[in-house]
Amino acid sequence: MQQGEGSETQVTWEDQQNINKFGRLNNRFHELEDEIKVAKEANESLEDASNELILSDEDMVRFQIGEVFAHMPREEVEGRLEKMKEDASKELERLEEEKESVLAQMAELKKILYGKFNDSINLEED
Amino acid sequence: MQNPNLLLLPLMAASTCSSSPCVAERRGIPAASFVEDVETYLKQSGLDVSCSLAFLQERLQQYKIVEMKLLAQQRDLQAKIPDIEKCLDIVATLQAKKGSGEALIADFEVSEGIYSQAIIEDTESVCLWLGANVMLEYSCDEAKALLQKNLENAKASLEVFVADLQFLRDQVTITQVTGARVYNWDVHQSRLAAKET
Repeated sequence: MQQGEGSETQVTWEDQQNINKFGRLNNRFHELEDEIKVAKEANESLEDASNELILSDEDMVRFQIGEVFAHMPREEVEGRLEKMKEDASKELERLEEEKESVLAQMAELKKILYGKFNDSINLEED
Repeated sequence: MQNPNLLLLPLMAASTCSSSPCVAERRGIPAASFVEDVETYLKQSGLDVSCSLAFLQERLQQYKIVEMKLLAQQRDLQAKIPDIEKCLDIVATLQAKKGSGEALIADFEVSEGIYSQAIIEDTESVCLWLGANVMLEYSCDEAKALLQKNLENAKASLEVFVADLQFLRDQVTITQVTGARVYNWDVHQSRLAAKET
């Protein structure tokens, strides 16, 4: 209808839904960054633990289960650590994949929204 | 000037949202309705621009309060889940030890920083702390089942919280966008008026 100011582009329900979706993805993106940080730390701790285990020459090691340190033969601990490492790296992989997909979807929405609203909309982080 | 709070609630609900799948609320969180056209919306609600902006701002504040509450609850649950997993882990360890003939030797914390050693012989049961100063003895299998169920429940309610938060954030976004549009519309109108004179 009116033009020239750029501020009067009609916002449809579809646009609103896209903006909502973008907001949700952006939120998820930040959550994922935190989760990935935690998962990386977990991976590193496990790696450290198994390195220490290789260096130590004790047959019985104390392994934390729940709140207590159980005395366990080192082979068993090795096995458990391997399993934990495997799970932790799978989890990290899953999170990284989700992050990629979130970023791709955000880029797609940016294209649509900037295409319609130009500089009347700002989708960048402050 | 009329009081916008009293006036607007029913009017907002009645305002335009023909094409949208309008959910009126989710678990006590009122939905923000989408405004198709700012001018019609202002006319229908009988508000001037500043009243409408003040109303939206107030809504936003209310949403923020609910968001903080939900986030706190979500964090509590997120902390609970690893706790339950830890319990399951130790029960599984006890079960594995059973029948092997050897006792589980465990160092446990007596007081902060002070540890002592416990020897747990073949055990059939564990005691679960149920809260409210109640502890109950369960067979290992029963304990495992109960903990498993608690874990599932915790995960299920976490999902509900995540969905609640998503819904809430959508409402926040809608309210913010509506606010920006009302504001822009007003700027635009005054520019038009300035041009005419």
